[in-house]
Amino acid sequence: MTNLTINGRSLASDSPPDTPLLWVLREELRLTGTRFGCGLGVCGACTVHIDGQAVRSCQVKVGQVGAGAITTIEGLHPSNAHPVQQAWIEIQVPQCGYCQSGQIMQAAALLAHNPSPSTTEIQDAMNGNLCRCATYPRIAGAVKRAAQMMKEKKHV
Amino acid sequence: MSDELLPNAGRRSFLVRSTTLAGAGFLSIALPPALGIGDAQAAMAATPAYTPSIWFTITPDGVTTMHIVKAEMGQHIGTAFAQIIAEELEVPWDKVRLDMPLESAANFGIYGLAYTVNSGSVTTEFDRLSRAGALGRMALVEAGAKLLGAKLDKCYASAGRVIDRASKRSIGYGEILQKVKLEKSFAYPADFRSVKLKDRKDYKVIGKSVPALDIPAKTNGSAKYAMDVFLPNMAYGALAIPRTRHASKVLSVDDSAAKGIPGYLKSVVIPDHMNKCMGWVVALAETYPAALAASKALKIETDAGPYGSLSLDDIKADFVALMNKPEEGANWVLEGDVEKSMSGADKTLAVEYSSDMICHAFMEPINCTVMQAADGSWHVHVGTQSTSFARMTLTAYLSMVLGKKQEELSVFVHQYLVGGGFGGKQDYDDVLAAAYCAHVLGRPVKFIQSRESQFAVSHPRTPTLHRLKAGIKDGKLAAMSHDMVSGWMGPRFAVGKKFNNGTDWLQLDSWDDKKQDIDQWSVGGSDHWYHVPNHRVRAWNSDRTTWAIQASALRTVSNSYNMFVVESFMDEAAHAAGRDPLEFRLSMLNGKGGNRGIPNTGHPPGTKSDYYLDQIWISLPWPTDKSWPEYESGTVGGALRLANCLRVAARKSGWGSKKLPKNTGMGLAVSSAEERQSPTWVAGVAEVTVDTTTGAYKINKLTIAMDMGIAINPDNVKAQIMGSALWGAGQVLSERLDFENGLLKQSNFHEYKPVRQVDVPEFDIELIESGRHPMGVGEPASTIVAPAVANAIFAATGARVRHLPITPAAVLEALKALKA
Ligand code: FES
Ligand code: FES
Repeated sequence: MTNLTINGRSLASDSPPDTPLLWVLREELRLTGTRFGCGLGVCGACTVHIDGQAVRSCQVKVGQVGAGAITTIEGLHPSNAHPVQQAWIEIQVPQCGYCQSGQIMQAAALLAHNPSPSTTEIQDAMNGNLCRCATYPRIAGAVKRAAQMMKEKKHV
Repeated sequence: MSDELLPNAGRRSFLVRSTTLAGAGFLSIALPPALGIGDAQAAMAATPAYTPSIWFTITPDGVTTMHIVKAEMGQHIGTAFAQIIAEELEVPWDKVRLDMPLESAANFGIYGLAYTVNSGSVTTEFDRLSRAGALGRMALVEAGAKLLGAKLDKCYASAGRVIDRASKRSIGYGEILQKVKLEKSFAYPADFRSVKLKDRKDYKVIGKSVPALDIPAKTNGSAKYAMDVFLPNMAYGALAIPRTRHASKVLSVDDSAAKGIPGYLKSVVIPDHMNKCMGWVVALAETYPAALAASKALKIETDAGPYGSLSLDDIKADFVALMNKPEEGANWVLEGDVEKSMSGADKTLAVEYSSDMICHAFMEPINCTVMQAADGSWHVHVGTQSTSFARMTLTAYLSMVLGKKQEELSVFVHQYLVGGGFGGKQDYDDVLAAAYCAHVLGRPVKFIQSRESQFAVSHPRTPTLHRLKAGIKDGKLAAMSHDMVSGWMGPRFAVGKKFNNGTDWLQLDSWDDKKQDIDQWSVGGSDHWYHVPNHRVRAWNSDRTTWAIQASALRTVSNSYNMFVVESFMDEAAHAAGRDPLEFRLSMLNGKGGNRGIPNTGHPPGTKSDYYLDQIWISLPWPTDKSWPEYESGTVGGALRLANCLRVAARKSGWGSKKLPKNTGMGLAVSSAEERQSPTWVAGVAEVTVDTTTGAYKINKLTIAMDMGIAINPDNVKAQIMGSALWGAGQVLSERLDFENGLLKQSNFHEYKPVRQVDVPEFDIELIESGRHPMGVGEPASTIVAPAVANAIFAATGARVRHLPITPAAVLEALKALKA
């Protein structure tokens, strides 16, 4: 059994320790907002945070997480109050939506570390996240908008 | 109408539910928490609701729930349909909800063919959804007038209220339903003909960029795709990658290694009735990781079948051999006398084009969960482009596999959000396999394609080969011939899908007396809107290719290669004639003859291409007598609308005036995808910089002008244009599939390369809202990028590449050829 901290809650997994965290989250703990895209670390659909860092949950074994605090899309903010979610809705980013949990988690981690990223920094940080609907222009725009929202919030 | 109005008289629970809802289950979409099959149904059963026609239900809380039969796969179709209905129904937007009807034999009789395809949803549904909304409004206004004690002709509806002009009093739709039993429902098409629709200038919801209703659930993880389904006692299935893409046979399976994997249950060879799932073995386990590991641990002995040593080079050789038999080609376009005109030309130009295979590579791998319920009925949970075909295909399959009559089987298909479709979620192999596994195991099975198995059994776009010839006379394109060979998807698609009048489902006849079958979906787009007096398109089907690779529809189907070919060739012809590519194109986009649009499309209504418009897209009820109200054809205005788009795009891009840096050029392209009878007019300009030392190039900017008639939701139209244009960018930049020894080679996104964030160019998009009938916007812009880029590379360097994708190596080679 593995004890995990997910979205501030303590949860236990019965999966073997070498099970990819992705499948533990999705199929065992039923936090299905984290998506399966490639299983190879090359699409970003499964992105979650561990201790604030964006990681590909398909590449992390559940036994490796240890005391790391996991945040999934469900934990970012369930009613879409996080600035990244707000920006995503304002700019109407998602199309099919399948990649967007990963995009949002990637963007949230970027902004947590770099509150005002340049266009190139956004491109670099988001380049590992595929979107087959190619919502890329709006993703880039929404990251900038979220950065602005976060700044405005601080000033209030 | 007044007969249908009964005073409330204190009764709180009228059974005012339309029979259309009685047998229906609904999946509520867009409202987190979204999953709750039956929840919406139960909620509606508890309250008196009004369903004037099959498309929406109004409840006494004033909420209108739109029943969306189309798949929600990124185009926000539910929002578009709701806008169309809400406009005429006059309901406030914040009181609009969406759900998706359950697919069953009974519901098929009510909702018709649930099939999302061909960029046709808005085009085919706009008119009758408008009429349905208007009829609902009329019924409510009549009831409201009565309750207000007002004269009917003094009453009107606005924002969910019936208002009496005389007394200024009003009553809400919800309140009306609380007070009276409304039962009058309207049948399609009989009641729909006479209704008067709004003047388009009075639109309030159509044309407004309301936020898409399905988006909030997609930003917090609550959106439900089929993979998010959990059924009690469910097992998992993973596919062992078959020996070949198609037609291998399993001889034996050794699962001794798999048995060591904790949770492994068994492996199942899927019966290949209907020539689907050939060579498929599914490993079943208690968890998905265990099933996946087991699928890789199986030792499977196979007969590789007829395609076991077939490779792309063999296919290419087939293509050449076919094209060398001109007498066997089917004429798709035949105007004037091409041979005669060629021989009288001042100058001829003969070139060869080709394109590689690509595949859909949707981010959501194909998956489904199937269970057999205690009553023997089958339940499929899946995100698919056609729940109807999923049900029909599975019913036919189970009848063969289980030795039962189709009538004895009851199959229900529960639709979910689709994580990308692009034409690739309309084959049901996964559904058949999961159902068979559920049957063998006696438990529900969730089947998930790994990305590797997804690529291995994908349904690619066919490779193609084209030979084109131009005859230039007096600086004009007097003659054009286009020979093309490819796998035809139609014959494969038609399996199990004879049309209800018994005709071949997807085949047209050639445009001559020979009446050869011809596959519109593989040749469409070659029938362009330029006026060329002598014009011939001939096509050959490489049947072996079709089956070996399991060729299928991919976003804009054949337009995705034919627009590249036609528009690159038009540039070449312009240069051969010594004319500017813009001026050359405009001179031929003159709307003459068959390019006028309806009433003269070149195809008499009801025959040839119009066949599809009439029969396949109409999702139902199918009045076989063609008695539905007629609506305006998207072809109205013809080539002149295309010329207009081209002028706008060229002007905005700075064509002919903008100073460009070294090795930078602009290229033009126009497109009329999707089909000849359903064009969305679009033109684009690509600005590209080429690195002449490496052949690498960068798309700096795309300028796109589109005339889609009415833009139902302009902000979403722009999103769709950008997304589809970038899809097109992937096709020219980097996407390709290899085929070797019967297998598709690329296995994951490190080898198959869609565009990423760094590839995004600057966009300048102009919507030309001409007010004509609204046409599809989710695909057409994807077709202009490849040719515009090819033409820009030529403009920048003089290098002409006639193959998709355009690799840096190919650019270098073309540059070398220039020097030589
Ligand atoms: S599923 Fe983990 S990166 Fe693609
Ligand atoms: S929104 Fe469809 S894959 Fe990104």
